[in-house]
Amino acid sequence: MECAFDAQNLISISLRKIQSSRTQRGGIKLHKNLLVTYVLRNARQCYMSKNALQTQRTPPYEDAATVRGRQEYLELTGSFTEFADDFYCNFAGVQSDTWHCGAHQSMAQHMELGHQDASACAMVSPSDSDLMVSEACWSCADKSSWELPISNTQVNQKTVLDLDTHVVTTVTNGYFHSDCCAQPKQPQAAAPCYSRKRKMDTSYYIVDPELYLPDFVPLSCKRMRSEDDDDDYLESDSEQLDSANISNLISVLGSGGLSEFVSWQQMDLEQIFGSQTICSKHTLLAGSGWTRAIEAF
Amino acid sequence: KTIKLWKISERDKRPEGYNLKEEDGRYRDPNTVTTLRVPVLRPMDLMVEASPRRVFANAHTYHINSISVNSDHETYLSADDLRINLWHLEITDRSFNIVDIKPANMEELTEVITAAEFHPDQCNTFVYSSSKGTIRLCDMRASALCDQHTKMFEEPEDPNNRSFFSEIISSISDVKFSHSGRYMMTRDYLSVKIWDLNMETRPVETYQVHEYLRSKLCSLYENDCIFDKFECCWNGNDSVVMTGSYNNFFRMFDRDYRQDVTFEASRENSKPRSVLKPRKISTGGKRKKDEISVDSLDFNKKILHTAWHPLDNIIAVATTNNLYIFQDKLN
Repeated sequence: MECAFDAQNLISISLRKIQSSRTQRGGIKLHKNLLVTYVLRNARQCYMSKNALQTQRTPPYEDAATVRGRQEYLELTGSFTEFADDFYCNFAGVQSDTWHCGAHQSMAQHMELGHQDASACAMVSPSDSDLMVSEACWSCADKSSWELPISNTQVNQKTVLDLDTHVVTTVTNGYFHSDCCAQPKQPQAAAPCYSRKRKMDTSYYIVDPELYLPDFVPLSCKRMRSEDDDDDYLESDSEQLDSANISNLISVLGSGGLSEFVSWQQMDLEQIFGSQTICSKHTLLAGSGWTRAIEAF
Repeated sequence: KTIKLWKISERDKRPEGYNLKEEDGRYRDPNTVTTLRVPVLRPMDLMVEASPRRVFANAHTYHINSISVNSDHETYLSADDLRINLWHLEITDRSFNIVDIKPANMEELTEVITAAEFHPDQCNTFVYSSSKGTIRLCDMRASALCDQHTKMFEEPEDPNNRSFFSEIISSISDVKFSHSGRYMMTRDYLSVKIWDLNMETRPVETYQVHEYLRSKLCSLYENDCIFDKFECCWNGNDSVVMTGSYNNFFRMFDRDYRQDVTFEASRENSKPRSVLKPRKISTGGKRKKDEISVDSLDFNKKILHTAWHPLDNIIAVATTNNLYIFQDKLN
């Protein structure tokens, strides 16, 4: 097998393929996406086996208990059906075209995740200017927070990168907040709404970032679905024949599931990002302005 | 997701001299007709007409990859990624589902159907191939839903060849029965395999189509070429098999003489009456004259579809925008 760098490369290429297949004519190709999943799995296995050697050198950022806790926490909550489409995709998860990049509100509690997010975002597409936010917004890391276990409240937060405006926003419990530095803006007065998605095109499908991004917080689809806009309600399309069956391919990725990704990402952060600092920038995404976004859980 | 049955016909004559119609089709006022004449058939430029005769719709949720008419000439099957349906040619509003590999939980999806075909003589037998490189033979007499295969053909993977792309290159893109019905041929990304229906453990013959691509799988994955679906075909007496490749190359493998040849379908090489010259790809360091190096292959020029006349040595080869028809050298 190729070295770990190739594995990283393959992972980003594969994620890009999945991303672009959402906009291709003719709809989602189940067969092709299934094969891309296998490449992702193989690349991950290779990468992790290589990193297993390196973890002996790097300081552990989490103790075993934390990892176990995370494993439980990261159990997928069930199938993700988001699309009013007669296409299914075996990658469940994020709504329409949002890739959710991790979110955190307070530094103390969520730094860990923040770091993961940063690396996750960067990992997703190291060279894809489309996905990269030139001024990635993450709170500056507090190293001590690495040891903090992920708390359950994290599930209610996510940071979203808008592919069009390259703006990062954190959504918490239905409210939009600024990113990092724990300076919440006025929560949106509207009913709880997570990252919105635009009206589902029948040719789109969902990609579950949790499958590919090293860190993620499992979110039930229901929460991620926009609830305040009938237009965005995905299940309404009468053409959809298999909406109930869109779910992720965790099994393809192996029994280790998502936790492997998380620990993988943890160890890799230092290697990949070194002293990458994160400046903060926040914005409030208003109303239905979401067209394309990447959510890194 | 819709199947249509078309009638194709040729027209090389047309009637002229109608009494009630002008030549351009407008109707004449009957009061202006003073004499009568008999319309005659006059030759015209050959025209090929296609008219839809049946539309079989709303039976597939996923993309259809195969259609196969049964040897009874009354029924046919259509296969999509997860299901195979059986139709009657005369009944368009209803079909029977005979294979369904969709898991209850899509999270458990691990393979899809890639091709399916009826046996040439046994109207109860069909095969379908999967993205995992397996072929399942089913007998419709066994049960209404043929989820339980009668035979499963699978070759164990060579562990030495394991790579990131093992799953992709083992996915079968085409399956074809031999005319005799005794063998079937499968095409995966790098090879063609001949299977004896009586032996499920491994193919009886394997032919490498373009093994030199194995070291280039990463680039082929990036440019999506690795997902190309090549077809394959048998000649009339099952002694030669043919399949396409890149750079507008197509390959023939003679099973009896254990020979193979590569030809190129291109306008420069295909003047009428000229004989196709065999091509060679240089895989080693030194490139001989007339050989083509792997790096100069054009991956945008691919031959995915080929067909061989069932009786004569006439072949049809499709490049991206052109159809080439070649025949045996006339002595």
